[in-house]
Amino acid sequence: MKSLTYLFLACALFVCTTASTQSRIPTAVVRQLTIEPGVGIHTNFGTDFLLTNLVQWNPTKRFSLASHTSFNLNNIYQRDVNYVKTNYNYSINQKFGAGTTFYSKKSSHTALLMIGFKYTAFKETLHNPDLDPVSVTINGFSPDYGLMYSYKKGLKKCFFTFRTYIPLYPWPVKGSNIDYIDGNRDSIAVELGIGLKIK
Amino acid sequence: MKTIKKMTVILGIIVMALVLSVLLSSCEEEIFNPALTRTFTIESPSIGVTYPIQVALPENYNTSGEKFSTIYVLDGDQDFDLVANTCKSLSDRYGAPNVIVVSIGYGRDRSIDYTPTKTGSSTGGAPEFLEFITSELIPKIEQDYNVETTRESRTILGHSYGGLFGAYAFAVNNSVFGNYIMLSPSLWFDDEVSMILEKQNRVDNKDVSQLVFMGIGEAENTGKMQAPFEAYYQILHDNYSDMSLSKNREDDLSHMGSKDPNIVKGLNYYFQNR
Repeated sequence: MKSLTYLFLACALFVCTTASTQSRIPTAVVRQLTIEPGVGIHTNFGTDFLLTNLVQWNPTKRFSLASHTSFNLNNIYQRDVNYVKTNYNYSINQKFGAGTTFYSKKSSHTALLMIGFKYTAFKETLHNPDLDPVSVTINGFSPDYGLMYSYKKGLKKCFFTFRTYIPLYPWPVKGSNIDYIDGNRDSIAVELGIGLKIK
Repeated sequence: MKTIKKMTVILGIIVMALVLSVLLSSCEEEIFNPALTRTFTIESPSIGVTYPIQVALPENYNTSGEKFSTIYVLDGDQDFDLVANTCKSLSDRYGAPNVIVVSIGYGRDRSIDYTPTKTGSSTGGAPEFLEFITSELIPKIEQDYNVETTRESRTILGHSYGGLFGAYAFAVNNSVFGNYIMLSPSLWFDDEVSMILEKQNRVDNKDVSQLVFMGIGEAENTGKMQAPFEAYYQILHDNYSDMSLSKNREDDLSHMGSKDPNIVKGLNYYFQNR
């Protein structure tokens, strides 16, 4: 946990430092409030389908606040394997974050530290004719925090948006092998969408 | 404008460097005492493969004169140090006799050695691998080291396909091991064949004294792990009268992430209940 604390402190320091640097950006497209619905996948071979939305508010040019919501249909291609049926499998993530935005001529880049929760629910049933049927239901809340990068391209009210999220929970990794971050690695989200400038 | 781009790149590099540094700092592995480690290879004539073996001895191995129980560790190349170190600390904590850890390294593809039936070109070698352990490895260990030679003194520990192999050994040759630590076992393999084998051999095995620990990650939601795991646990719970049985779900952890915590909990259960 010590390393994690250092990581967050370092990122927070960087964000605050850059956010407070109000340098002039003559060609920037500054949007104060945007809504950015999108679709995406996790990096577990693309078996999860995500419906997401990012609401971003820039109280100042550099400083950004955001809310990210994601509804995930998980493991959509393997719903009946070897007599194991997936009855349902979904998760909902809600995160809030703060960060900083950089501007270029026709686009902007936002880096955010996000924190929130994840609700997971899935049910599997074993229906092998040679064995007694057994169902398992797992659902519950867990923390969700990590780093988000959001890219916005376009000058008009509607614009293209791309974002990716790297979850840092569960942490610390409980093992000596780099493969032990499989839960984090497989939950990296890649999302595309259309953004709307509200203000 | 170039300055802004540079800053973006720098931000990316800083974040990546921080993530990497945290990753690396959390991946330090504690090596088991080399002075207490013996290594050798054993060639299996029946399989035609040479397996690297590591043996972790208790600190009082040379002085106590007692015979020790054994834990045979599959995927030994990965898990030997953790298992050996954990056994030492648990032995110290509970004041219980330590064990000799026998790590079985990779001789050929693990998916061949650990799977009971042939469903493709790289599966189905468990019968001959179990025969190798039973007829070649265990006799050598019991000849060369001060170890107990009873079934009750032997444990097998495996993860994923290794856990499946444990379930296979439990079902078809229950006289070899008396203790089974099965972690995230791939019980779904070949239409739950290991569970069918358990059912077929239940009459012979159900009244035998044994210890079984089953572990899994709560986040293993790939559509095939949880239901067979629960079904197998219920079968053991309902049908085996003389069994010490426990299961554990590691909160929020996935298939690989739950492995080490479950190894520690499985060994903990073993040391408390053997």
